[in-house]
Amino acid sequence: MDLTQGFGARSGVVGPVTGLESLNFSDEFRHLVATMPPENTGGSFTALLEMPVTQAMELLHFTDSSSSQARTVTGDIAPTTLHPFGALTFPSNSLLLDRAARFSVIATEHNGNISGETANSLQSNSGANLDRVKAEPAETDSMVENQNQNYSSGKRKEREKKVKSSTNKTKSSVESDKLPYVHVRARRGQATDNHSLAERARREKINARMKLLQELVPGCDKIQGTALVLDEIINHVQSLQRQVEMLSMRLAAVNPRVDFNLDSILASENGSLMDGSFNGESYHQLQQWPFDGYHQPEWGREEDHHQANFSMGSATLHPNQVKMEL
Amino acid sequence: MASADKLINTDVPEKDVFAFHFLQSLSNLRKQNPFDTPDQKNYRVRKIKKAAYVSMARAAGGSSRLWSRALLRRADKDDNKIVRFSRRKRKVTWKISSKRRRSNQRAPVVEEAAERLRNLVPGGGGMETSKLMEETAHYIKCLSMQVKVMQCLVDGLSPK
Repeated sequence: MDLTQGFGARSGVVGPVTGLESLNFSDEFRHLVATMPPENTGGSFTALLEMPVTQAMELLHFTDSSSSQARTVTGDIAPTTLHPFGALTFPSNSLLLDRAARFSVIATEHNGNISGETANSLQSNSGANLDRVKAEPAETDSMVENQNQNYSSGKRKEREKKVKSSTNKTKSSVESDKLPYVHVRARRGQATDNHSLAERARREKINARMKLLQELVPGCDKIQGTALVLDEIINHVQSLQRQVEMLSMRLAAVNPRVDFNLDSILASENGSLMDGSFNGESYHQLQQWPFDGYHQPEWGREEDHHQANFSMGSATLHPNQVKMEL
Repeated sequence: MASADKLINTDVPEKDVFAFHFLQSLSNLRKQNPFDTPDQKNYRVRKIKKAAYVSMARAAGGSSRLWSRALLRRADKDDNKIVRFSRRKRKVTWKISSKRRRSNQRAPVVEEAAERLRNLVPGGGGMETSKLMEETAHYIKCLSMQVKVMQCLVDGLSPK
């Protein structure tokens, strides 16, 4: 067992400092640095990193104001008992916490089978606390409890990636369409790998657009369920296209009876109306329009047609101008 | 007609723009066929219908919408009289195959409806589902506007 061996080796080193409770924290550090094996070059903090998990945690306890806690922990430090971690109060010293997190990450690579789960929970705590400590130092306790309960498929990479990609576990999910990067909030207990995040973002995009379509099509907000709504939308599009076809048939039937001369009317509309895309080319076409004076004798007949047509309530084709021209 | 949704823009111009373009295309038609032959009614119907769609595409923002571009391109293939439109490079549709790698995760309900929509909405073949729904919303708005204009025209021109 790596941990016991390491601990055994270290315990020999720490032997002279068994009177830990009586020492101050700074004193203990100096002792540890002095008694470190010679291969640990570097500062005192890196020395701290080389030590096994339990000792690191024990040292962390010393940063607390209450030394009594530390005493109880040192009392039952054993290689296999990592249970005190359940009642941990993580210090708000972010630097130490960083080290602890990173170290515990390294530790699990060494201790494959021994404290696999507990170490994982430890690092999930610390991983989550990396987030929390930087934001809310006061609430580390409750967060620890939450993370312990919420331990789903919490692989280390995913947690770190989550921390880096700035997603938070909240109960709501928010999506933004405008930004080039979609920021998605994962719900509690959902997988956080890249694929499912992208899938979820995409699904939310589609749902937002479906809501838009629902408002557009009359009678769609009463329907429950996406399948029926989509059917309704498709029916609506088909009915609109059929209406266009029907009206064009009627127009074709009506058309030979009246030969309207649109040139004058359309010329008057030229300056006032804008193209949908504000495209300049359509204006060119209109300006090059030759003025044909054909079908003059029918002028009288089409007059009232024009007025009747364009002074209809909904179509706003400047009936005053039309009257002026004619 | 301002759209309430600020994120997805489905604004459509007012009715007179549609009416203007439709009448313009109709008179274009008229100039082509000065003899209105009553025997080939279907031919005329089809021409008017196509003129309606093309004018709708132009009115609704000629190149800024995918479906309008596809419509105009389709019309351009048949005859050049109604449409004056510069040819754009054909959008490569390999994108769909790359996105369908994980097709079992896309909701099959939505996907089959999207297939039907792609057949209905012009230019729907090369779009992702979310983009398709945006285009569908705009297309529905434009279609209803065009229907209103044509209804007015028919009512105005029909014999009393």
